[in-house]
Amino acid sequence: MSNRVAIVDVAQTPGSESSDNFLDQLYGVCKEVLDKTGVSREEVGCVISAASDVFHGGISCANAYYWDSGAGFLKNGSRQDGESLLAFYYGVMRILSGHFDTVLVVGICKGSENPSDDMITHFYTDPFYQRQVGLNEIFAAALQMRAYMDTYGIKEEQCAQVVVKNLGNALRNPYAHLKQRIDLEDVMQSRVLTDPLKEMECAPKSEGMVALLLASEEKAKELTEKPVWFKGFGSSMDTFYLGDRNLLESEITNAAKQAYAMAGIKDPRKEIDVAEITEPYAFQELLWCEGIGFCGPGEGGKLIESGATQMNGDIPVNPSGGVLANNPYVSRGLYRLAEVVLQIKGQAGERQLAKDVNTGLAHGTHGFAGQFHAVAIVGT
Amino acid sequence: MGRAVAIIGMGQTKHGRRYDVTYPDLVREGVQAAFEDASLTPADIDGVVFGTMPSMMEGVAMTHFYFADALRAVGKPMMKTETCGTTGMSLAITGYYWVASGLADIVLVVGSEKMHEGDSQATMSTVLEPFYLRPFLAGAPGVFSMLAQSWMERYDIPEDKGREAAGKISVDHHKDAFDNPYAHIKKDLSMEDVTNGKVITYPYRLWDICPNSDGTCAVIFASEEKAKKLCARPAWVKGVGFCGDEYWYGDSDKVAWECAIDTAKQAYKQAGITNPLKELDVAEVYNPFTYVELIHYECFGFCEPGKAAEATLKGTFSRGGELPCDPSGGVLCTNPIGATALVRVAEAAMQVAGKAGDHQIDGAKTALAHGLGGVSQFNGMMILGSSL
Repeated sequence: MSNRVAIVDVAQTPGSESSDNFLDQLYGVCKEVLDKTGVSREEVGCVISAASDVFHGGISCANAYYWDSGAGFLKNGSRQDGESLLAFYYGVMRILSGHFDTVLVVGICKGSENPSDDMITHFYTDPFYQRQVGLNEIFAAALQMRAYMDTYGIKEEQCAQVVVKNLGNALRNPYAHLKQRIDLEDVMQSRVLTDPLKEMECAPKSEGMVALLLASEEKAKELTEKPVWFKGFGSSMDTFYLGDRNLLESEITNAAKQAYAMAGIKDPRKEIDVAEITEPYAFQELLWCEGIGFCGPGEGGKLIESGATQMNGDIPVNPSGGVLANNPYVSRGLYRLAEVVLQIKGQAGERQLAKDVNTGLAHGTHGFAGQFHAVAIVGT
Repeated sequence: MGRAVAIIGMGQTKHGRRYDVTYPDLVREGVQAAFEDASLTPADIDGVVFGTMPSMMEGVAMTHFYFADALRAVGKPMMKTETCGTTGMSLAITGYYWVASGLADIVLVVGSEKMHEGDSQATMSTVLEPFYLRPFLAGAPGVFSMLAQSWMERYDIPEDKGREAAGKISVDHHKDAFDNPYAHIKKDLSMEDVTNGKVITYPYRLWDICPNSDGTCAVIFASEEKAKKLCARPAWVKGVGFCGDEYWYGDSDKVAWECAIDTAKQAYKQAGITNPLKELDVAEVYNPFTYVELIHYECFGFCEPGKAAEATLKGTFSRGGELPCDPSGGVLCTNPIGATALVRVAEAAMQVAGKAGDHQIDGAKTALAHGLGGVSQFNGMMILGSSL
């Protein structure tokens, strides 16, 4: 039984609206990753997908429609709903169990065929208390941002700087959805959507099909010269009602703690070379950076001001442009992972970091104010 | 291969029309039952796997958020596995791989549905894409109607004979359900009651079809080391299988159905089963509609292709027969969809652990559990045994 799992290669679609239909888009990334690795569809052990019934163009049982386009015809497989990094973790489980040598992991979201993300997230609410007040993900985020500013004195400008950094990075990412050359003033002047959140601080609605081929140690060494190894994983669920939670102490800390323990990481700021964080709202990048231990509680504002998270900083965060530049809601966690993999392989093109990238962190979250978090560590 | 894995606790709610509890309370009831059965507490659990049918079944999306507390999952790793009607089986398989991989030692697996809070057939119609399939395959009855008719046509099964075999399945299961404290519909039916029932979609009549149920099922999976320490009679996972067919309903043969045949092949191979009829002691076949059960007998090798009606009428699959199928009453009597295939796993585990009470098959050592899903697109299987 092999005790290591590698990501052999990745393929992704650009986040902008495509005239290709759902099935063609997915077929395209599956074909691309199989062609790159020289593995035929027949050889793939099983297919684990990430898709969600409610972000699926009005077609439910979100594993059904695309099964054959996603390389699954007469194959073993399964699906994770919600956080797409869980599909990666499930793929890892399948290989570590010794039953499979290769697993194709796919993330699926055709945002242009969905209603607005917040119309959908409104359905996360319970029917008795929250739905009556119209709660959805952006309202929850606004409450969280206000608490963050009030508690730690975080400034609106510091949150806005995240947008400037990430959209700046996105200019060099061919897969990013939003390509805009902007400055701080543009963000600060953009329309308030839900006070204190401004329009440019909120992620767009994007398309995103992504495929990763995982393999056992032995198989990976046959398939690639640059395997990216699975090092650690953690996830954690918080309680449901916002009023019962401390919105500034989220389960991301617990998820990161599990992942670091598995990967043997003691000082994340020093040992991690690149991080891709799911930040659908700009301030969340700062808050999540605190949660994963890149700085202390309340120091997220200083972190962005210090330049440490810039492309040339000591801990670059979201060189891809992050979720603020590309938000395929369901597959965005796997997009984070795909970027980390490309950075480690040295295949990130114009946005390749100048330094050696050996260890990377990919983070995913969904639910109100980050009710659920997942953290994956991969490396050379 | 991998680590050995066992089921060490099973819990079910009383399934049925549960207007007495809210949906989270229904989940909590099933979870609590599993903890009590295993004599464990939430602190013992390394991770939680949860899933249901599409969210719009009850009008709340991504219910793992809403049920986080009821699942006792707060502060814990979670997986959210969903694959239509096979959800319950895919949940069990996720729990199995999580433990087999060595990434967790004890995993709580939960499936649920509260179907009286929504319109199940309307929701299921949305599994079909809007252009070609949706206009003519509304809900489950249309799909299974074509399946039954092609089966009879393929093997020249006279309509009366097919009707009688399906009727026997209905009569037997509705009676079996009296011995299952968790079952929803329990009924003393005569063959005439079934064959004269109201036609829903030909050849299905009222009593050929499962109900809508509210219910939760919870199952606890553990590593060999933990299972031996914590449980007197673990149910060992001997084999698992899963297979997905292509999406377009008309493109594959659903009678000699490769997807079902291959699923069984995978599970039998891992479990070392070569003659299922002889080597299995009991099977929980996913049978939302009577004829569907007949077709799966053939696909799983319980009898020759085209011979399911004969074997059924001979009593091969009845309670006292060679391979009793669905002694719990099966899906036909109880169908909280997201939980349903997991109920098959729980029932199979109860059988090999000798905990099935009044519907215990004496001396059952090897049991099969099956899940079916999608627009006849997915099959999943788990084989459980009383010894490692």
